[in-house]
Amino acid sequence: MHVEFLGVPRQRAGISELEVQANTLGQLLGTLATQIPPLGEFIAVDRLHSSFIANLNGDQFISDPATPLVKDDRVLILSADAGG
Amino acid sequence: MPFGYHGRYLRIDVSTGTSEYVPLSEAILRQYLGGSGLGVKLLLDEGAAVMDPLAPEAPLVFAFSPLVGSPLTTSAKFAVVSKSPLTGRINDSLASSGFAIAGKACGCDAIVLVGRAAELSALVIDEAGVRMESAAEYRGATCRETETGLKARLGANYRVASIGPAGEHLVRYATISHDGRHAGRGGSGAVLGAKNVKAIALRGTHRAEWANPGELTTISKSLSKRSFGPATAKYRELGTATNLLTFNRFGALPTRNFQSGTFEEAASLSPEQLSTTRSRTRESCVSCTIGCEHIYSLGSGGVRVEYESLFALGSLCGVSDADAVLRASQRCDELGLDTISTGGTIAFAMECVERGWLDEPWLVFGSGDALLRAIDLIGSRQGIGNLLAEGSRRAADAIGHHSIDFAPQVKGLEIPGYEPRALQTMALGFAVGARGADHNRSGAYEVDFSDKVDRRHVTLDAVRHAIDTEDKAALMDSMIICKFLRGVFEDFHAEAAEMLRSVTGWDVNADELRETAKRIISAKRQFNLLAGWTPAEDTLPERFLSTPLPNDPDASLSRERLDSLVAEYHRQRGW
Repeated sequence: MHVEFLGVPRQRAGISELEVQANTLGQLLGTLATQIPPLGEFIAVDRLHSSFIANLNGDQFISDPATPLVKDDRVLILSADAGG
Repeated sequence: MPFGYHGRYLRIDVSTGTSEYVPLSEAILRQYLGGSGLGVKLLLDEGAAVMDPLAPEAPLVFAFSPLVGSPLTTSAKFAVVSKSPLTGRINDSLASSGFAIAGKACGCDAIVLVGRAAELSALVIDEAGVRMESAAEYRGATCRETETGLKARLGANYRVASIGPAGEHLVRYATISHDGRHAGRGGSGAVLGAKNVKAIALRGTHRAEWANPGELTTISKSLSKRSFGPATAKYRELGTATNLLTFNRFGALPTRNFQSGTFEEAASLSPEQLSTTRSRTRESCVSCTIGCEHIYSLGSGGVRVEYESLFALGSLCGVSDADAVLRASQRCDELGLDTISTGGTIAFAMECVERGWLDEPWLVFGSGDALLRAIDLIGSRQGIGNLLAEGSRRAADAIGHHSIDFAPQVKGLEIPGYEPRALQTMALGFAVGARGADHNRSGAYEVDFSDKVDRRHVTLDAVRHAIDTEDKAALMDSMIICKFLRGVFEDFHAEAAEMLRSVTGWDVNADELRETAKRIISAKRQFNLLAGWTPAEDTLPERFLSTPLPNDPDASLSRERLDSLVAEYHRQRGW
């Protein structure tokens, strides 16, 4: 699936987008922590730090590591705090 | 007198320069804490709800807090509370830094101003007492010029809050500025301007003692340490401006007076892009370990860049020229204008021009020159600026053609940068907000950016979450502590109680603070009821309830759904 980074995750990753193979959100996050070490601070095994959140296809925000993902999904990783 | 307080406020009649200390009971302080809560309580006692906010007798409150002056990070903040000349409802706006510490060091928990000075004046409070000095030489001066000038006259260790030309001209969304920061929303600058007070300069030596200094130091160290962690990374590393691309990605970036939720040129205003051609530095308020302020170079100076200013003066007006948007933000700072209301009112006027209802052909979406020209006209109330200085609601009333349907305001306060159709818990927060559409008194957007709700199809279940964020904000604004810290707390109410215990010695706990928050929210409602509030005010402009967002048909909010959310909100509040 396609991963988009926004805000601080984008800055830490140094890229805005990435293609990753994973069947669940937990697998995806584990892969990201391995492939992009600067993101590791925000990922505890298969979960995001509470200050960050994932979104599926621009619709649903997701946090359960077991959330199933399919090939054409787009997962967005961003700061949970939207305050301005 | 309880620890953490002075147990009195200073009431000053600027007509005569006379002043008196008025006792504050421990019971009142415990019930309302300080900041917004104490300010609202004092306004109620003064009978302000039924007064014209620009009349001499209308009180303006500067309220400090028990935590001010403590080593707790982000605690150097003060609230400015009055009836709003923009909304006719309660207004509490907060600002930060040395003015808060200096104010409390004057030996009071709040300063209440009434009256009207005979000439443009500076109010000075120091060890010698209270006096009025002429500020005639600062007529027309910017906020920064006034602050610099007064410190040169009085001494560098005075802390100054001032109004710019917009406050002098009673622009209904003029700010009160201190050290480049603003008590921004709702027009407190016009209230001070109506009192013919250009600035307030403070210096004091009084200290409030802490009940348990050792425990307070331990708590402060822990909080500071956590403030360097992931929960505040956004504010430290990119600033609030990073919201721009995120909101654009979610179709929630208000564009061209809320005609769209996406701005095709958003990237040109992003912090990443701004950084490519400009130097960037960071600043902090006094007593803050986060350092959220990102200053971008502009000409020979710099400008603070915040999301709300970028959205209001950028996408909302369709302006993608970054230099123009930064200059506009800088100009608002100089004139003492709330950037959200300024951008909202100009964007509204641009749409009226587009529809042929306003004969100002130069005022078009996308024009940076028009934006800058409009801001200067507003600040001086010249030409069309005299109408726009009244805010979008009054401008719509004058323009007619049912333009009120797309005037971007609730209760007269222009809507911040959260598209209500795409963020529907926030839509509820805007609709019911005591001071109007506001993102600082309701953090309901947090709910929309979570797995608790479907942000474009919210149900009644969202209401309790919206109430929780409103209560939490009321507590943070009264203690006072910066909301940018909220992510560091595991259990905010328990930690807030711990802080208050160490400062005041009260046996306060989390449950008491939850009740305190509700009491403060109720006091704001009581003020608004006395001022003439009716349930019909708790709504959104027709545009949001009859027109889905283009490019995102799911982002649709019907009147029936909003009404049901508001009714449930009132029911859960017990109103």
